[in-house]
Amino acid sequence: MSTVTRTAPTEPLADGHDAGNRILAVVRLHLVNRYSVFAVPWMIMGGIFIVNLTIWWIIFASVTNESDRADARDGISYSGALFYIFVYMLVLGIQAVAYTFPFALGFSVTRRDFWLGSALTFITLSAVYSAGLTILAAIEVATDGWGLGGTMFASFYFGGADASWIERFGLYFATYLFFYFVGAAIATIYQRWRNNGMLALFGTLGLVLIAGIALVSFTSSWPAVGAWFDANGPSGVIAWSLVPTVVAAITGYFILRRATPKN
Amino acid sequence: MSAVVEASHLTRRFGDTTAVDDISFSVQKNTIHGLLGRNGAGKTTLMQLLTGQDFATRGEIRVFGEDPVENSGVLKNVCFIKESQRYPDEFKPRHVFTSAPWFFPNWDAAFADRLIADFRLPLNRRIKKLSRGQLSAIGVIVGLASRAPLTFFDEPYLGLDAVARQIFYDRLLEDYGDHPRTVILSTHLIDEVSNLLEHVLVIDEGRLLIDDDAETLRGSATTVVGTRQGVDAFVADREVLHRDGLGGLASVTVGRLSPQDRVRAAEMGLELSPVSLQQLVVRLTGSTQTETALEQSA
Repeated sequence: MSTVTRTAPTEPLADGHDAGNRILAVVRLHLVNRYSVFAVPWMIMGGIFIVNLTIWWIIFASVTNESDRADARDGISYSGALFYIFVYMLVLGIQAVAYTFPFALGFSVTRRDFWLGSALTFITLSAVYSAGLTILAAIEVATDGWGLGGTMFASFYFGGADASWIERFGLYFATYLFFYFVGAAIATIYQRWRNNGMLALFGTLGLVLIAGIALVSFTSSWPAVGAWFDANGPSGVIAWSLVPTVVAAITGYFILRRATPKN
Repeated sequence: MSAVVEASHLTRRFGDTTAVDDISFSVQKNTIHGLLGRNGAGKTTLMQLLTGQDFATRGEIRVFGEDPVENSGVLKNVCFIKESQRYPDEFKPRHVFTSAPWFFPNWDAAFADRLIADFRLPLNRRIKKLSRGQLSAIGVIVGLASRAPLTFFDEPYLGLDAVARQIFYDRLLEDYGDHPRTVILSTHLIDEVSNLLEHVLVIDEGRLLIDDDAETLRGSATTVVGTRQGVDAFVADREVLHRDGLGGLASVTVGRLSPQDRVRAAEMGLELSPVSLQQLVVRLTGSTQTETALEQSA
């Protein structure tokens, strides 16, 4: 019990439940360091693009026969160059929880507001980046592969050269969401259970994978698995990725709800 | 009388260790509390519980009358600065101060700027590259400029030099005078802050040893120095907190003395000296001592 009394006015208590503002504040917090959120991904993409451009040019300059060129173009259309940019997004998703979560809690944010704000950030960033990729893909198709017959954005996995812009946008968007949310959800397991959580996660994933392979092998179902991938095509497979994305978004929330950041 | 924080039978266990053991106390509005104790005593865990960052195993917490866990209405009035605070990768101090006003409604940007100048904090250097003291300065600045009605400082000044620590104490007192709020400060530098504190909580091994007014506490123990026989005779029927001896001399710490006691000690040729808050905490939480001795006498 204190005997000290003060006459000066107290700092007013902030009132009301402006949860929306707290969620938006989390979004702004994720984006406050514009350099790593916006500049670095485009720099990575630019670097990959230049490397690819150089390779296309080498092929273009050294392969002069028309049918051989068509062959080369066919091969290039399976370009996995964009994969790197998605890996960076996976890292951003992990960092959002590994670094920004303990920081946001230090700024008196609830776990709920943090997760909702993060989800909103992921969705916004996915939309922005997908729009960028869609534009680049359109340019790529229009310029006949940057004048060199190259393929990076309108690759086979994202609908190929014939896809509509909306389909392409949807595929990029789903892929971005997948990497953000899966990265963030994995990081929540670490926040909650530390190394034991990681061991359990990857141990379980390994077991499930082996069990799956065993199941498919023993029931001789490999042709059926192949047929599924064939029937769905890359676009279908990406669309199906929304299922693990949603699972990651929901489980990540519940895991984080009881997590305490430690040093 | 209004309590900003109320904890009753608060317990937090991690496996078979009990970090916080059945603690009950309340914190009055607009006071500066010291939360003192040794490393691992449970101070950080207690503050994490009070700020909704950790979850109680048992017991109840009320902050501004409500459970703080996942309660944004409560938490936005709370600022918790800890020594071990992590910052997002690649963050610079300016990112911290840009975003702080979005979360702390009472944020004072002008005050923050003044503190940044006081602490000579570089705003555009990456946080990973800052010195330990500069890292602490970020926390101290956020804690002061946020003007949260309830502010926790957990060992806020690791690595801060003496000048910077004095700046922290001065600015805290100054701003506290203009904008009263409740501050809970955990520190090992007890002597430095003892004049700042209005109320003291001492915990050891998860248990609350002292919950008392700083003023009361300051006179709560006295060291009696003199010849062994004289001291022994004087303290014969008293609770002894600590005893040192050298040859025929003895130095014994006892609880509160009445004016009559003091007169008697003077008559016996014994010397009396007050025990500082820091010494008191050392005596109480040192492993060779019986911990409950002062609780009864204080």
